[in-house]
Amino acid sequence: MNSVLHQIAAVIRLELKKTFFTRRGWWVYMLALAPVGLTLLHTVTMSRFQAYGRRGHSLYTDTEIFAFLFQTYFLRLGIFFGCVGIFSNLFRAEMLEKTLHYYFLAPIRREWLVIGKYLSGLLVAVVVFGVSVGLSMYLVGRHQGAAWSSFFSNGPGMGQLAQYLLIALLACIGYGAVFVFAGLFVRNPMIPAAVVWVWENLNPFLPSFLKKLSVIFYLKSLAPVTLPVRTPTPISFLMVDTEPVPAHYAVPGLLLVALAILIYAAIAARRAEISYSE
Amino acid sequence: MAVYKKTYRPYEGGVTAGWKRFLTIPRYALEDLQRSRFLNIFYIASFAYPVIAAIVIYLEHNLAALQGLSAEKIAAVVSIDSGFFMSFLGWQSMLALFLAAFIGPGLVSPDLANNALSLYLARPFSRTEYVLGKLSVLLLLMSLMTWVPGLLLFSYQGYLEGQGWMAANARIAAGLFFGAWIWILLLSLLALALSAWVKWKPAAGALMFGIFFVAAGFGQAINQVEDTKWGLLLSVPSVIGTLWVWLFEGNRSQSTGGVFFRLDRSAVIPVEDCWATLAALCLICLYMLARKIRGAEVVK
Repeated sequence: MNSVLHQIAAVIRLELKKTFFTRRGWWVYMLALAPVGLTLLHTVTMSRFQAYGRRGHSLYTDTEIFAFLFQTYFLRLGIFFGCVGIFSNLFRAEMLEKTLHYYFLAPIRREWLVIGKYLSGLLVAVVVFGVSVGLSMYLVGRHQGAAWSSFFSNGPGMGQLAQYLLIALLACIGYGAVFVFAGLFVRNPMIPAAVVWVWENLNPFLPSFLKKLSVIFYLKSLAPVTLPVRTPTPISFLMVDTEPVPAHYAVPGLLLVALAILIYAAIAARRAEISYSE
Repeated sequence: MAVYKKTYRPYEGGVTAGWKRFLTIPRYALEDLQRSRFLNIFYIASFAYPVIAAIVIYLEHNLAALQGLSAEKIAAVVSIDSGFFMSFLGWQSMLALFLAAFIGPGLVSPDLANNALSLYLARPFSRTEYVLGKLSVLLLLMSLMTWVPGLLLFSYQGYLEGQGWMAANARIAAGLFFGAWIWILLLSLLALALSAWVKWKPAAGALMFGIFFVAAGFGQAINQVEDTKWGLLLSVPSVIGTLWVWLFEGNRSQSTGGVFFRLDRSAVIPVEDCWATLAALCLICLYMLARKIRGAEVVK
């Protein structure tokens, strides 16, 4: 068992060097940094407004703003496309650089290789997007001054931040498993990425039983702040209301789905063959 | 020093006329694309909506057929106006985005990755002709998906409606033509620019989606966080939707654009700013292309 862990750790070490701060991954960092820049701009603007004696908005509005940012940007776009970039690259990049055979010739079981690569990708995604979520939430209400600090130290702020970080972690786990599988077996991972993205965004319009087959449904169930109802769109009548899943079902449910995909990918990797001529 | 007999001869055959040299590139590119089964199926499937739209137009003008189908209520709901054609354009334009994301990244990146650009440019073939040739592949395919069937549907509706309908609704035809062109031109330039800069094809395709969807989502986030409407300038669907509504209906329009390119009437951005954004995007793409499409490359 120790040797297996040792091998997985070796793969993670190698992969972290390739995945962290690579030129190829610049756009993933841009995806993660964009909301930080936006919330920084928000807090600077609001601070200047307050300095000129104008009335700002309430602390609750800031939590709503962050909830909107998290649900519309982080979950649907930032983390999703970030995971596409990080996880589908784990194997496809090796194919492009014609280096995958070094791994396949090494005395390591393919299953551990898949798990090692997945864990390294997960580590990168969690660090990048976890830091982004944490900084964005801290910055979005910083202009409130002591009230915002108190919101974290004495109020529900820390609990909400922990919940957002948990959702970000679960999103990385879920989407990561899907895209490591796609990167391993599909020549162009963009096609499964587009299919999954459309499916995830169709979620509000799907019937209840189909909603449960998407990652976003479980993640939204865990959100600490419910978004206010927005102006109805012409297709709002097609939306189907479904009760959110309780956390004690949502978390293990998502983990089980991710684990099943990963196990399948690991087993299928045993029969994988390299064809650099593709 | 050995002196070898000169064995090569200069080319003495016929030379393609200068103005149509760029057509060599689409000829070979289209041949290549024909081999992709997925692409063929996708391209044929993309004509489903125009066929359905033609059937709707037919049914709208054939009450007897509608009575047979007991669908008068459907006919009352579906009116053949600018909204109908904008929805058609919106749907087809979304399919064009998928097409551009699929084939666009493969047009330039292989030439750059294999240092083949100098082979093109060593011939009597300029950088402009090269870009034009690559661009024409996308322009041709996307034209056949967007404004060509759109104008055919318009003509069909005009034929069935009669009594000067086409003249009265000429703005719709102009909107279809120019609306489709601004979209396909933007998509083609974007696809080529990304293809030149991102050598991994799937990443370039993903970036196209990123610019379309992620920037739109980020624009929405800007609006919400900063309590403004200018974030919409980052949203390509909003910019294009605004321009379409203006092209189809003029300044006094109240419609919300086509499917996938809907506008939020509570936060409308001025048309001039949308034109400026579009021009800026196209110029950035051209600059990116000009930086990469060169006969020689300095490798650091």
